[in-house]
Amino acid sequence: MSVHVSTLQARITGESTASSPLSTEEYFVNMGPQHPSTHGVLRLVLRLDGETVREVVPVLGYIHRGIEKMGEHGNYRQFVHLVDRMDYLSALANNWAVTMVVEKAAKMETNDRIQAIRTLVCELQRIQSHQLWWGVFGMDLGGFTPFFYGLRDREQICDIFEKTIGARLTMNYIQPGGVMFDIHPDFVKDVKAFLTYFKSKMPEYDALMTENVIIQERLRGIGKLSAERAIALGATGPVLRASGVAHDLRKSEPYGLYSQVDFDVPVGTVGDCWDRYWVRMEEMRQSVRIVEQLIDNIPEGKTFLVKPAAKIKVPAGVHYSHVETARGVLGVLLVSNGKDAPYRIHCRTPNFNNLWCIGEMATGGRIGDLVAMLSSIDIVVPDIDR
Amino acid sequence: MGVITDNLPGVLEPLPGGSVLVTAVDQLINWSRSNSLWPLTFGTSCCAIEMMMATGAARHDMARFGAEVARPSPRQADLLVIAGTIVKRMAPRLRTLYEQMAEPRYVMATGSCAICGGPFMYHSYTTIRGADEIIPVDVYVPGCPPRPEAFFYGLLTLQKMIREGESIRHPGERRRPVLAALPEGMTLDDIRKEMQDLLSHDANVNMTDAAAEGAHYSAELKDF
Ligand code: SF4
Repeated sequence: MSVHVSTLQARITGESTASSPLSTEEYFVNMGPQHPSTHGVLRLVLRLDGETVREVVPVLGYIHRGIEKMGEHGNYRQFVHLVDRMDYLSALANNWAVTMVVEKAAKMETNDRIQAIRTLVCELQRIQSHQLWWGVFGMDLGGFTPFFYGLRDREQICDIFEKTIGARLTMNYIQPGGVMFDIHPDFVKDVKAFLTYFKSKMPEYDALMTENVIIQERLRGIGKLSAERAIALGATGPVLRASGVAHDLRKSEPYGLYSQVDFDVPVGTVGDCWDRYWVRMEEMRQSVRIVEQLIDNIPEGKTFLVKPAAKIKVPAGVHYSHVETARGVLGVLLVSNGKDAPYRIHCRTPNFNNLWCIGEMATGGRIGDLVAMLSSIDIVVPDIDR
Repeated sequence: MGVITDNLPGVLEPLPGGSVLVTAVDQLINWSRSNSLWPLTFGTSCCAIEMMMATGAARHDMARFGAEVARPSPRQADLLVIAGTIVKRMAPRLRTLYEQMAEPRYVMATGSCAICGGPFMYHSYTTIRGADEIIPVDVYVPGCPPRPEAFFYGLLTLQKMIREGESIRHPGERRRPVLAALPEGMTLDDIRKEMQDLLSHDANVNMTDAAAEGAHYSAELKDF
């Protein structure tokens, strides 16, 4: 361990610290795996010099459940429910990622009704996920009110899902060949009621956090991530877009009905915590727009096109496809040997790459800002460890 | 005797050392323990969203049952809600957390993962098949994830166990672990109604009744 020598005076004035008479020693702090702000069981090893962070090393594996290996033991439809448990806040998008790769590889048919329903529920879940993030972000910054507001509105979407899907969190809804159930007769009415409700609540969110001077001062300028570094680290989703890269799979490689709807991809400018905050707030508005355009035009048709017990056979070879979840690009790589179970399945999860940006963001910053930076990445730890 | 000893639900009992102990306070202690559980903020995966977040927030509001003071430090908490999968690497940490909690401490295993490994029971090479392989569990709440209502059902079961369980009079008496599964045929509305009734019943303490109960109790003891 190198000993960094500096004095307070030297640090303030930025002088060379080598010759200062007072010496400080670097020390290590363990953050986690049991820590209220690491969103689960993430462990960060911090190398600190006083209050300054010199290095952050994430230590993983505290919730590694072997999902990829388990996938090799069941057939394709049995793998879908396991990915619910990876990024449980975007369970539907995860389902869709697996479904898409299987459907593409096995050349399965879908229709517009299925795609419309999938797009709708995924966008609703994106709103839901960002609501939860907003609440937890507020809590990590030290305010409890956003938590209550965010989860209050999240429950409304939970109700909609419960009626149609029957679950609140682990959905297992989007399946190769369609969706598990047709939408509930009340679905359209409920979603419209929710949109009206939520649009009236967005100003409340803004008044509480976005327009709050304390929040702005707190977030601006900390945890900067340049576009080059974000791309080099493989960051995706709001973390990448906040750094100014307008990359969104919904625009660049449209799937579902995203090519038929009109929406913007919000991008940040400098890539600090404030930009990441702002991008997510804007994404909620865009998701509302998408849902509004689709909700009245759900085409008629069947919602499940294969027999429930049908064995899905995927031709031998390597298949890949990806979707944009609430946190970034989830890619599923499937190696098939032609049987009805995958030979190897690998998930490229957004949180894993996003997490490694914390080193870039936090180095040289203050330890007091670390929790804000970590929270602005919006990680889900089981998605990292899988 | 004074006003307090006459009206307080309790009795003065001589002990061999010559000291006295107000034993019916036992019940009072257990009652207050059961209504002021401080959970540890501990959640490893999906269940944590339902157990630590949805139950704590607006609609479900754990504060109604006196269990909203979530503590990040195990030394200040007395309820460990195991919300999520426990894998081999996390197991020693869970044991440490449990050992750092002060007695009396209670453990609830929520979700199939904490009960038996859940969806990761077969073919997973890392999951611990049930948290009770590592630490003793008082109440199991099944579900994947359990609904907040199911969690409250488990919490109420735990409160009942605490009220009837170990006391100064019966030291070391622990109940066997129970499975707080929702009974067959019970609907959500039934649970919500039951919780409402319980709350209105539990939140109001009738001092006269309590005193009468205590007097009755001490009379019984005198007969001994
Ligand atoms: S029981 Fe289900 S919801 Fe809970 S942690 Fe396990 S997989 Fe996740």
